Amino acid sequence: MKEEFFLGNGAIALGLLEAGCQFLTSYPGTPSSEILPEAVRLIKDEKLNTYVEWSTNEKVALDNAYAAAITGKRAACCMKQVGLNVAADSLMSSAYLGTVGGLVIISCDDPGPHSSQTEQDTRLMARLAKVPVLDPSNPQEAREMVKTAFELSEKYRIPIILRPAIRVCHARQNLAWENLRTNHRPAAFEKDPQRWAATPKFRFLLHQELNKKLKDISEEFNDLQPYNTHNLQPGMHVPLGIIAGGVPSSVIKDILDEHGRTDIPLLKIGAPYPFPDKLALTFLEACDSVLVVEETDTLIEYCLRNRDKVLGRFSNHVPSEGELVPQIIEDILEKTLRERELPSLGVKSQENVEALVNSLELPIRKPTLCSGCMHRAVFYSIRKSRPKAIFTSDIGCYTLGLNLGGVDTVLDMGASITMASGFYHAYAQDDSDQPIVATIGDSTFYHSGPAGLLNAVYNDARFVLVILDNMTTAMTGMQPTPSLGIRADGSTGKQIPLERIISGCGIDFIEVLDAYEIKDLRKTLKKAFAYTKEPDGGIAVVIARHPCVIAYKDMVTKNRKDITITDDCIACNHCIDRFECPALSHDADKNKTVINPALCIGCAVCVDVCPKGAIIAE
Amino acid sequence: MSTINYVLSGLGGQGILFMTKIIAKTALQKGYNIMGAETHGMAQRGGSVISHLRLGDTSSSLVKPGSAHFLLSLEENETYRNLPFLAKDGHLYSDTIQDIFPRNSVKTYLDKMGITYYALPAGKIALDLGAPVSSNLAMIGFFAAFHEEPFTPDDFRETIGSISPEPFRDINLQVFEKGLSSGVAIRKG
Repeated sequence: MKEEFFLGNGAIALGLLEAGCQFLTSYPGTPSSEILPEAVRLIKDEKLNTYVEWSTNEKVALDNAYAAAITGKRAACCMKQVGLNVAADSLMSSAYLGTVGGLVIISCDDPGPHSSQTEQDTRLMARLAKVPVLDPSNPQEAREMVKTAFELSEKYRIPIILRPAIRVCHARQNLAWENLRTNHRPAAFEKDPQRWAATPKFRFLLHQELNKKLKDISEEFNDLQPYNTHNLQPGMHVPLGIIAGGVPSSVIKDILDEHGRTDIPLLKIGAPYPFPDKLALTFLEACDSVLVVEETDTLIEYCLRNRDKVLGRFSNHVPSEGELVPQIIEDILEKTLRERELPSLGVKSQENVEALVNSLELPIRKPTLCSGCMHRAVFYSIRKSRPKAIFTSDIGCYTLGLNLGGVDTVLDMGASITMASGFYHAYAQDDSDQPIVATIGDSTFYHSGPAGLLNAVYNDARFVLVILDNMTTAMTGMQPTPSLGIRADGSTGKQIPLERIISGCGIDFIEVLDAYEIKDLRKTLKKAFAYTKEPDGGIAVVIARHPCVIAYKDMVTKNRKDITITDDCIACNHCIDRFECPALSHDADKNKTVINPALCIGCAVCVDVCPKGAIIAE
Repeated sequence: MSTINYVLSGLGGQGILFMTKIIAKTALQKGYNIMGAETHGMAQRGGSVISHLRLGDTSSSLVKPGSAHFLLSLEENETYRNLPFLAKDGHLYSDTIQDIFPRNSVKTYLDKMGITYYALPAGKIALDLGAPVSSNLAMIGFFAAFHEEPFTPDDFRETIGSISPEPFRDINLQVFEKGLSSGVAIRKG
């Protein structure tokens, strides 16, 4: 027996390998990114042979896992909640077709949001797709639920979604374990075109079959211990009960324990869809009113039949945005108890200390690009070249190009390119030659760049596309991309250079250069803009390449230069305001710019930024 | 067993997660159940890093404001930012480079709440020993000087020795000892 202080995502990996998962795919995205690397670590330590891959996007990941599952193997794929949007096509259809081996889709939610573009609730996607969903309250439960999910998936031949929220994924818990395994089921795909390639007529029949499965699973969920359970004593009738799912259920349990409130029963719904109707009804009958606390949306609240008794988001008892952190939940409960004239928790207000902290005027620490980050050099150059351009951008560290005024739009993965072509045609229609610069990272380009670029070329859009190639997927923790050819298990795969794909999309203007060389970058951008205006021109693609300063720390710091600021500095703050390097700051006593040597990595890009030539590198 | 709540705070790159690991590993050796919560992704790029650690039998991972028994912070502004976490009669340990700590208005609040507070130039101690990124170990040592329960300095020594990567083991222990002796000196007045 081994014991470890596992990350929640590690606990999920543990569950996958306790269930003998043979096939695991993923596209990284906070808060899901560590599941696959944790699985790889355990697979190597225990010498297992589960297949793992970083797929190029979430739909690709799900399709691959789905194929493995219908050969009879246990398969899983992991992604963040907005990744499930990308995989939605695959999800909806796979629910109808069903599976043979267990298929578990792990979609990690981000209430807050801490690191996502929406706070969407995967449970509602599950409802839309008619796929059962499990909602763990902590890492240990997530681990157990993975195993339950595989069993349910095989029993009913249906994919199952596990929806851990960020407080499960990035929580830690000590867990003891032994006996991990990879199942030895051989791939045995049985042809059945009426199922696996069903035409609309058969889809209707499959829909009937799916609805029947959901009815049966709902029955099972009415007594799915210990996930759907309550602590109501027989014959008990109470003025207030609580229904909670996932993370909020564990927070409420701790709050009720802390205040010794055995008078308030709790119905925990860890398997909310298909909804355990009978269980909920029993609970409702024993309570005069019921407070519903769930993240992030209203699945349980929607599904409760008798709304007269229900207090939740529809009644404004629970906020409809943001994470339900412990103090918010305690506050909701306290207000509800007072409103119902029930004994309160007696919680003391924290307002005084919060006012005190506010009065201290502490520095606001907004997210910023690292010192030495190649993105900073590129955004600085782009803005300098065409300050009036529309800057469409994308999802990754470089979204922080916002701070340099180099990002005007961020919609979704790949939208830098598709929005650039949309902007182009919208302006071209009015005979306006509005300049447009799109920026996208290497991994995001592989994820969903090519389709948009093909479309833009085909429809003769004109803009400059700058690919920010830092040779890794930086924001989510340095996962490799196809350009390196390194695979999820560390083995060597085929390298697929960006240049080759871009050329294949029909682009004739491709320039590649070192992102640190900002003088060259500006010259190249000038050429690129000119090309977009030529009658025979088109979209110009500039690949600005430099290794990420975190992923390739040793490589980057080898060429480190010592940076000093001379007395020529007139404190114009151009470097601080426009270049925004964390190592540069204004020293009021000296009335000049100073360098923090602990933060400076010696990239020397700022040397070319200073209008007075006051920054020198040795 | 009642819960013991820790909040650890500081800036990105200061090793808050390693500090969390030291306490967690030590707690594991003592047979505690542990839950924790940490910061990843976009949020991590901002600078403020916070880690929650709960020892005992709990279901959830976040420390509720007003319930942290210990706040260990590697940066003074982050110390102030996280004051709401501290429970009445809690204990505060902060890195500082100022001669005066804490600020007056904060001092009034801490005294009123019965919160004890101690400051250590942890960053300077680490720098003087040639390990500028090891202020986290100086802080653990300092903290260890004030409490025999639930962990003694020996418990921490053992953990640091066992989880430090080989090239850093000696220097980590050295920084820890320096933090510890600074704490012992204050404690003895």
